[in-house]
Amino acid sequence: MKILKQLFGLLLAAGAIAVLVFLVRLTQSVDGDLHLKRLAAIQNVDDLDVALNRAVTLNRVSSLALAGDDKMAIIGQLGDAMDALDVGPLSLRGMSPEIDAALDQFLTTAGDKFVLAFDFDIRYAQVSSRLIKSVDAVPIFIHRVRRLLSDEHPMVKVLERLQSEVMALTVSSAAEASQVSRIQDYLNDIENLAAGDELSGFVVDPELTRLVKQLTSSARDVIGDKQELNERLDAFFATPTAAHLQELEDVYSLRHEALVAKAAGYRQYLIAYAVVLLLVLAMLGLRLRSSFRELDKANETLEAQVEERTQDLSDTLKELRASQTHLIQSEKMASLGQMVAGVAHEINTPLGYARGNADIVKTSLIDIGHVCAQQNRALNLIASGDAPEHEVAEALTQAISLDQEVSTGELVEDLDNLLLDTEHGLKQIAELVASLKDFSRVDRSRNDLFDVNLGIESALKICQSQLKSGITVNKVFGELPEIECSPSQVNQIFLNIITNAAQAIESAKRPDGRLFIHSKAENGGVSVRFLDNGCGMSAEVREKIFEPFFTTKPVGKGTGLGMSIIFRIIEDHGGKIEVKSIEGKGTEFMLWLPLRQAEEAPETQDETIAVAA
Amino acid sequence: MEMEEEKAHVLFVDDERRILSTMRMLFRSDYNLHFANSAQEAIDFLKRQAVDVIVSDQRMPGMTGVDLLREAKDLRAEAMRILLTGYSDLNAIIGSINEGEIFRFVNKPWINQELKTTVAQAVEAAKATRDAIRAAREDGEEAVQQSNLPAALVLDEDAGIAPAIQQIMGEQYRIVGATTIEDAIATMESEAVGVVITDTRVEGRSVVNLLSTLKEYNPELISMVVTARADAGMAIELINQGQIYRFITKPLRDTQCKIAVAAALTQHRRMARHNQLSQRYQVQKTSKATEASQPLASSLMSRIRSLRRLVTGAA
Repeated sequence: MKILKQLFGLLLAAGAIAVLVFLVRLTQSVDGDLHLKRLAAIQNVDDLDVALNRAVTLNRVSSLALAGDDKMAIIGQLGDAMDALDVGPLSLRGMSPEIDAALDQFLTTAGDKFVLAFDFDIRYAQVSSRLIKSVDAVPIFIHRVRRLLSDEHPMVKVLERLQSEVMALTVSSAAEASQVSRIQDYLNDIENLAAGDELSGFVVDPELTRLVKQLTSSARDVIGDKQELNERLDAFFATPTAAHLQELEDVYSLRHEALVAKAAGYRQYLIAYAVVLLLVLAMLGLRLRSSFRELDKANETLEAQVEERTQDLSDTLKELRASQTHLIQSEKMASLGQMVAGVAHEINTPLGYARGNADIVKTSLIDIGHVCAQQNRALNLIASGDAPEHEVAEALTQAISLDQEVSTGELVEDLDNLLLDTEHGLKQIAELVASLKDFSRVDRSRNDLFDVNLGIESALKICQSQLKSGITVNKVFGELPEIECSPSQVNQIFLNIITNAAQAIESAKRPDGRLFIHSKAENGGVSVRFLDNGCGMSAEVREKIFEPFFTTKPVGKGTGLGMSIIFRIIEDHGGKIEVKSIEGKGTEFMLWLPLRQAEEAPETQDETIAVAA
Repeated sequence: MEMEEEKAHVLFVDDERRILSTMRMLFRSDYNLHFANSAQEAIDFLKRQAVDVIVSDQRMPGMTGVDLLREAKDLRAEAMRILLTGYSDLNAIIGSINEGEIFRFVNKPWINQELKTTVAQAVEAAKATRDAIRAAREDGEEAVQQSNLPAALVLDEDAGIAPAIQQIMGEQYRIVGATTIEDAIATMESEAVGVVITDTRVEGRSVVNLLSTLKEYNPELISMVVTARADAGMAIELINQGQIYRFITKPLRDTQCKIAVAAALTQHRRMARHNQLSQRYQVQKTSKATEASQPLASSLMSRIRSLRRLVTGAA
C-alpha cells in the first residue's frame, strides 16, 4: 500500500516535470537570434540583388571588363546568399507552406534573372561590338554620301541631323522612342530623297544609292541593336526579384510573428503552470515544514514519554523485585514453617519423654530418699549399740516395709532405664540440632568440598517426620568424590525434592509409599536420582514445575518458588536437572552436579537462595 | 478386693516406645495401662477391649492420631479421647475437633502433673458417663423430632452470617442472630437456645472465656466456632477451654454447615436428657488470664450463671 502510494507520488512529480520541460521547449521554439540572422540573410540577398542591378547598370555605361568581373563576383555572392536561404542553418525552408511557396517563387525568379543576366552578357557582347561597328560605320557612310552630294542638296541637312541624332542615341543610355522615331524619319527622308532624285530625273549616282542603302542599314542596325539591348536590360531590371524577396520576407516575418505570438501564448501557459507548480511546491513545503515541526514536537514529547515509560518500567521493576523478594521471603517462611513443624515434632517427642522421665526420676528420688532415710535411721540405731532392741526392730521393719512399698530395687532399675531413655532422647535432640545447624549453614561460597551422600542423609533426617507415615526410603549410595558446591544450597535441593516426594506419596494415599534414592559418580560429577511412587503429575504440570510461582498446592500452602529455586541453584552450580513423571504412578528427579565449580565472581550467589527452600 | 472399684483402663498410642515407657512409669500405679506402638495396633486392641481413655500421638506412620481417634469414636464411643502431639498443623487440630471429638489436646513436651490431671478428668468423665453414653447411643437411633428444637444463636459481628445460616438450614430450624455478647446473653435469657455459633473474636475480644464460662455453668449448651481467622493456638484453646463441638472455617459450605449445626442440636438434646453426659465436656480450668481471654465482666458472669435454669428448663 505504502509502496503504491510512493510510486504514485513519484509518477506525479515526473509528470509535472515533463509538462514543465515541454512548455519551456515550446516557448523556446522561437529563436530570436536565428530570426535576426535570417532577416540579415534576406537583407543580404536584397543588397546583393541591388548590387547586381547596379553592376548591370554600370556595365552598360562603363568599361566592359571591369564591370563584368564585378558582376560575376556579385552573382557568386548572391548565389551563396540564396543557397543560405534554401539550405543550411539559416534556411527558411520547411517552416510553413506559405514560406516554401514564396521561397520557391523568389528562387525561380532569381534563377530567371540569372539566366537573363547571362543572356544579356552574351548578347551585350555581340550586340555591343556590332553596335560599335554600326555606330562607327554611320559617320563614314554619311561622309561618303556627303561627298557625292552638293552642298545644296536637301539630303545634306538630313544627313547632318541623322549624324547628330545617331551620336546622341549612341551616347544615351536609353533608346528613347522619340529619338528612334526621329532617326527612322531621317532615314526614311534620306531614302525618299534618294528615290526622289531618281524619279525627278537627276542623274543618280549608283554609288550614292549603294552608300545610302549601306547607311540606312547601318543606322537601322544601330537602332535595332540599341533597342534590343535596352529591351534586354529592361527585361532584366523588370525581373521582380526584389518584390518576391520582399514577399518572402513578409511571409517569413508573418510566420515568425505568428510563432512569436504562439510562443508568447505558451509563455503565458508556462507562467501560469509555473505559478501553479510554485503554489503546489509552497504547499508541499508548508506541509513538510509543519510535519517537521510536528516531528520535532513528537520527538520532544517522545523523549518525555520514553523517559516517563522508563521511569514507570524501572518503578515496576523495583516493585517486582520487592514483591519477588517478598515472595521468596514468604516461600522461605512457608518452607521454614513446614520444616519447623517436622522438626518440632521430632524434637518435642524426645523432649517430652526426657522431661517426663526427669520429673519421674525427681519424684521417685523423694521416695527413694525416704527409704534411704529410714534405712539410715535403722542402721544408725544398730550402729549406736545402745538402742533398745524393739526400737531397732521397729526401725528395720519400717525400713523394709517402706522399701517394699517403694520397691526400690525395681524402681532403681526402672529409673535407670528411664535415664537411659532420657540420655537417648537428649542425644537425638542434639543430633537433630546439629544437622539443623549443618543444614542451614549460611555459606556464601560454592567452593566447599561436600559429600553429597551426607547431604542426603541430613536432609532425610530433617524430613524424618514427613517420611514417617509409611514411606520406605531405599538408599543406594555410590562411592562419591567430594564435590565443590555450596552445601547449604545443595542440601536445600535434597530437602525440597524429598519433601515434594513425601507430599506426592501422601496425596496419592499410598500405604506402600516408597522413595528410592540413588547416587553415583558420573560424567565428571555426581548424579542423584530420586524416584517416588507418589501421585505423579500431568505433562502440563511437569512442563511448568520449574517456573516461578507455579504451584499445585492449595492457596497459602506454597508460593510455587521451591522448584524454581532448585532450578536456579543447579543452574548456578553448572549442573543439570531432569524430571520424568507419570500421573498416578510417580515421579523421578535426576540431577547432576559437576565436580568442580568454574572460577566465578561471588555476586551470582544470592543470599535469599541460600536460606529459601 | 472385689469390692474395690476396678482401675480405669487407659490406652496409650505412640510410635516412640520411650514415650510409652514414660507413660507406664507415670501412670502405672493409677490405672490399668495398655500400650500400642501404632494406630493399627491400637485399633486391633480396641476391637477386643473397651477402654476409658485413649491418649494418642498425632504423627505416626500409616495412620495419624486424628484418624485413629475418629475410628476409636466409632469403636468405643464411651472412651475419652486425648491427642498428645509434638506439633500439629491447623488442619489436624480442626480434624481432631470435628471428627475426633476429642476431650483435650496436649502438647509435647507435657508437664507430668498436668497430664495426670487431664487423664484423671477424662477417666472420671468416662466413668460417669458410661451408662449415659449407651442410653444416648440408643437415642441416636430415634428420629430426631424436628419440632421442639431449641434455637441456635449466631454471635457474629457480621450481621449477615445469621441469615446466611438460616438459609442454609431451612425453615424447620430456628436461627437467631446477635452481634454483641450482651445481645447474645439477652437473647439466651428470653429464648431457649441449644447451640451457640460464634466467631473466634467478638467486639475485639476472644470468645474463649465466654464459651468457657457458658460451658461451665450450662454444660448442655453446645458451642460451635465459625471463623475466617483459623489459627492453631486459638483452636487448641477453644477445644481445651471452650470444649467447642465443631470448628468450621469460612467461607461457609452449605452441606458441612448444615450437618454440623444439626449434629450440634442433636447433641444438645442428648446432653439435656442425660445430665451426666455434660461431664464429658467439662472445660479445663485455667489460672492464666491471657490478654486474649480476659475475664468477662462480673455482671455478665452472673447473668450467664443464671442462664442454666433457662437452658435446662427449655430442654
